[in-house]
Amino acid sequence: MTDALISLDHVSRIYSMGHMEVPALVDVSLEIHPGEFVAIVGPSGSGKTTMMNLLGCLDRPTAGEYRLAGTPVADLDDDGLARLRSRTIGFVFQSYNLLPRTTALDNVATPLLYQGVSRSERAARAKAALERLGLGDRIHHEPSELSGGQQQRVAVARAIVTEPALILADEPTGNLDSHSGVEVMALLHELNAAGRTIVLITHDADVAAAAGRQIHLRDGRVVA
Amino acid sequence: MSTIELLRLALSRLRTNRLRAALTMLGVIIGVASVVALVGVGQGTTSNITNRLAGLGTNLLTISPTGRGGSASTTLTLGDADAVRTIATVGGVAPEVSTSATVAAGNETTSTTIVGTTSAYAGVRAYDVWQGTFLTDVAVEHDLRVAVLGATTASDLGLGASDLGTTVTIGGLPFQVIGILQAKGGSGFQDPDDQVMVPVGAVQKYFVGGDNVRTIGVSVAEADQMTATSAEITALLRERHGLAATDSADFQVFNQTQLLAAASSITATLTLLLGGIASISLIVGGIGIMNIMLVSVRERTREIGIRKAVGARGRDILAQFLVEALTLSLLGGLIGIVVGLTVSALIGQVAGWGFAFNPATIAIAVVFSLAVGVVFGVWPARQAARLDPINALRYE
Repeated sequence: MTDALISLDHVSRIYSMGHMEVPALVDVSLEIHPGEFVAIVGPSGSGKTTMMNLLGCLDRPTAGEYRLAGTPVADLDDDGLARLRSRTIGFVFQSYNLLPRTTALDNVATPLLYQGVSRSERAARAKAALERLGLGDRIHHEPSELSGGQQQRVAVARAIVTEPALILADEPTGNLDSHSGVEVMALLHELNAAGRTIVLITHDADVAAAAGRQIHLRDGRVVA
Repeated sequence: MSTIELLRLALSRLRTNRLRAALTMLGVIIGVASVVALVGVGQGTTSNITNRLAGLGTNLLTISPTGRGGSASTTLTLGDADAVRTIATVGGVAPEVSTSATVAAGNETTSTTIVGTTSAYAGVRAYDVWQGTFLTDVAVEHDLRVAVLGATTASDLGLGASDLGTTVTIGGLPFQVIGILQAKGGSGFQDPDDQVMVPVGAVQKYFVGGDNVRTIGVSVAEADQMTATSAEITALLRERHGLAATDSADFQVFNQTQLLAAASSITATLTLLLGGIASISLIVGGIGIMNIMLVSVRERTREIGIRKAVGARGRDILAQFLVEALTLSLLGGLIGIVVGLTVSALIGQVAGWGFAFNPATIAIAVVFSLAVGVVFGVWPARQAARLDPINALRYE
């Protein structure tokens, strides 16, 4: 129980829009253990995005308790959340979200910048991460000079450069052609095999099927 | 994040949009340059006036007869000068009788002003002796035919350091040269170095006759006693000249220092005013920075979201945008200082008062441009720092 990496205990997230209250997640309890590969699946509007924001410490629950690596998220202020994200989570987004007009190397090194890692060490670690993903010859290219698949691999490199416990991937194959998609999925499996916990958020049943465990969301509730 | 990291980030960002950075800086450049240039010009003018002031003699009062014309209308006498000397606050009194004459040394001749005066003249009129001595009390007492040459006159006559003791003729009469003065440099219409000084009695005896004097120069011991001394002199001379309270005086006491001090304070005020007007353009430059930083925050919303997602805290974002604004304003400020100094040096060159470099102006300009960066950069930076990462990431 206590060694869970992610633990949600009766978590709800309710948005208030004016006088209306819109529940996005309702009474969700789940645990994800280190080394798991979990897919959170559901159609649009099921609360996937809210789940992703909560798990990624970009947002806080309105009710219930979320513990990430044993730390209760509710107790943290914005800086505390930023520090927790920086230490424990690597993000992979659907739209890559690389910094424009910035080389692959600098993009991958950015998370290390906010950890206070020295310039030379940043460059060395970012280069190593890119080489590991087969982008050793692209380190000085800017995102606009890379294909979608390459950009997503840069994004994965950025996610793993800090050696985070958790990799949070939000529709990582959504913008990619099927070949690049398969490549990225293989990459995530490889990382999982190397011991990293992966949480994949998707609406695509085929993608989800590749995961070790699936959590189905519908209308803000866990249905399976 | 260290300052160096932030600077590196800011510089690489400004490099990607050079034209925009340059145009934004231009506002600050113009502002700082005009402040530096105008203050420089103002200080040049002021120091020019101050130099003239010092050149006239320290704490100088000049007593001269009213009414125009030659020595006929002169009512001041050596006795008046002696009486003024008894006033406690008076430092030195130099009665002056002047005339024009041709001075000759060997084959060289020049037409110049002959000033008959006493040993106090050098102190009162702020002359320094270059070679030899000034008129001594003994020479003045005995109306000796000795002469002290102004620097210009000496060079017109081809006389130098080795010519002390030679004889020159003034209006045909031989005088022995006992000293040559140091050049004061031009101030006003008359060259103060083109004159010959001889004992006052010698001029009266050989050239103009009578015991009247043209003017009496008075140096006052302390600057703050100028007005009081001037009033005392007036009272004393009215009494000596037997004037009733209703009579208008036949002399006037002129305080040139006061006049120039007033001029100097007007210039200082003008400098302040011009600097103030110029600093308005600095504010406009600052608003330019704020504008561009706000646009930049808008454009880079997604970047801010990404940076926050990968671990940047609010203060990291704040620092990043603030340092960008500061880099713009400081770079602009430094360029502005160079431009401003160049302009004020050029103007100084043309106007002839040279170039007065004032480190305080530079320091103030740097502080001002930094302040502009902070004041106009902090709000956009706070906007950036406060962005919600979720919304920022989805911003298109």
